[in-house]
Amino acid sequence: MSDEIIRLKKAFMFQGLPEDVLAALAQKVNRRALTQGETLFNTGDEGDALYIIDEGWVKVTRQDEKGDELLLNRCGPGETIGEMSLLDQEPRSANVVALSDAHVMELHRDGFFELLDQRPDVAMGLIRSMSSRLRFSGMYFQKMGEWSRKIAEGDYSFMEQIQPLTGGDSNSDEEKASQMLSAFFLMVKGVKEREESLKRQVETLTLAIDEKKRRQEFEELTQTEFYTKLKIQAHELRQKRLDNKS
Amino acid sequence: MGKIVSIHSFRGGTGKSNTTANLAAQTALVAGKRVGVVDTDIQSPGIHVLFGLDENSMGKTLNDYLYGKCAIREVAYNVGEHADESGGRSQLAGKNLWLIPSSIRGREISRVLREGYDVGRLNEGLQTLISDLELDYLFIDTHPGLNEETLLSIAISDALLIILRPDQQDFQGTAVTVDIARSLDVANLLLMVNKAVPNKYDYVHLKEQIEKAYHAPLTGILPLNFDLADNASKDIFSLAHPDHEWSRELRKVAAAILAVE
Repeated sequence: MSDEIIRLKKAFMFQGLPEDVLAALAQKVNRRALTQGETLFNTGDEGDALYIIDEGWVKVTRQDEKGDELLLNRCGPGETIGEMSLLDQEPRSANVVALSDAHVMELHRDGFFELLDQRPDVAMGLIRSMSSRLRFSGMYFQKMGEWSRKIAEGDYSFMEQIQPLTGGDSNSDEEKASQMLSAFFLMVKGVKEREESLKRQVETLTLAIDEKKRRQEFEELTQTEFYTKLKIQAHELRQKRLDNKS
Repeated sequence: MGKIVSIHSFRGGTGKSNTTANLAAQTALVAGKRVGVVDTDIQSPGIHVLFGLDENSMGKTLNDYLYGKCAIREVAYNVGEHADESGGRSQLAGKNLWLIPSSIRGREISRVLREGYDVGRLNEGLQTLISDLELDYLFIDTHPGLNEETLLSIAISDALLIILRPDQQDFQGTAVTVDIARSLDVANLLLMVNKAVPNKYDYVHLKEQIEKAYHAPLTGILPLNFDLADNASKDIFSLAHPDHEWSRELRKVAAAILAVE
């Protein structure tokens, strides 16, 4: 079995395909290396190929109006990306950038449709993987709604409970969605803290002392016979206590 | 030689008695010191309630001593021997803490108001207490304002803690008290803010302002505490609710007093 076939076997979309089909498919794919940080494609690009990740990790992101990145997903070995544009012939819906050095297998439109014609089980595999991605989106939006509601109520406690991903497939969709969304919600928290600090500045209490009144009251209190005696007594007392100490 | 620490505020209602009782309890309990508390607020005594004393259980008072009816030692009520079985005060059992209460009888209060008393005798009594009970600290709960007894308490103090609320009137009044304390050569001047409404003001800025105005350290900013005002059990709040923000800040003030040389 050639290396190419072994790699294709690992792809979730091609699982269960006989070796002769994989061998034919191997003729149609190009293996591409990506270095960390390299862009595979951008939102709006024309999409004429899909990619199967062989090694390494990529992130799927979109940019908001201000150019800030919103992380939608992270994909790793065995997963397929870029199939949507092939199916609906629309431009790319997201950016894909390598998170580590990675290898992907590129399959162009013609080869892809030829395979779908021949093998309905590949179409089923593709539908399965898209269903699972839809489920993930569902979880993603559910979390987003839940957390937005908490923030509206002033509850930020959930931010402390977000665990970093351990990597691999062991993370549940919920853990993955939480992690993806955490950057966005941390930003919201930052906005809140900035607002609060601005509000605090408004409530600065400035106290002033009327120095004339202060002097007058001091003089009234100290210009008495009692006070003069007291000052002498206090002095003597302190002296006595100092002497006792030594 | 024990240290005399007077707790004072220019106006009433700053939480002076509660603060004094809690500081004394913390000093006796946590630091294990021998502590006396004197209620010199003879015109409107109140601190005895926090230590579980009422009219029936109160024996001889500071008034009896001041009018020559007994020795000061006879007035000292041993809080550690009479600690309750439950509540925050129960922790004071066996501790070296004495209270010198003022009379709460109307006739005896009016006598003080009418005739006054010999402040020299008060001074002698306090010095005797320190040596007889071998006190490390004697806390004096003073009468608000600056009458003769209060001036005496300030004059004989090693440390003076002034309590103020974050408002204009207290800020002004504290300035005069600070001037008096400096004029009477009080070696250690400490400040404390009480009844601060949480999150209302920028308290970092307030602390800077206060320390700059009075040239003395602000040792704690204690929040306005409805639970304390309510204090239905008449307990020592910081012992009953040690995790409350008020108690945490109070312990900072207690630590600052203990650090006084």
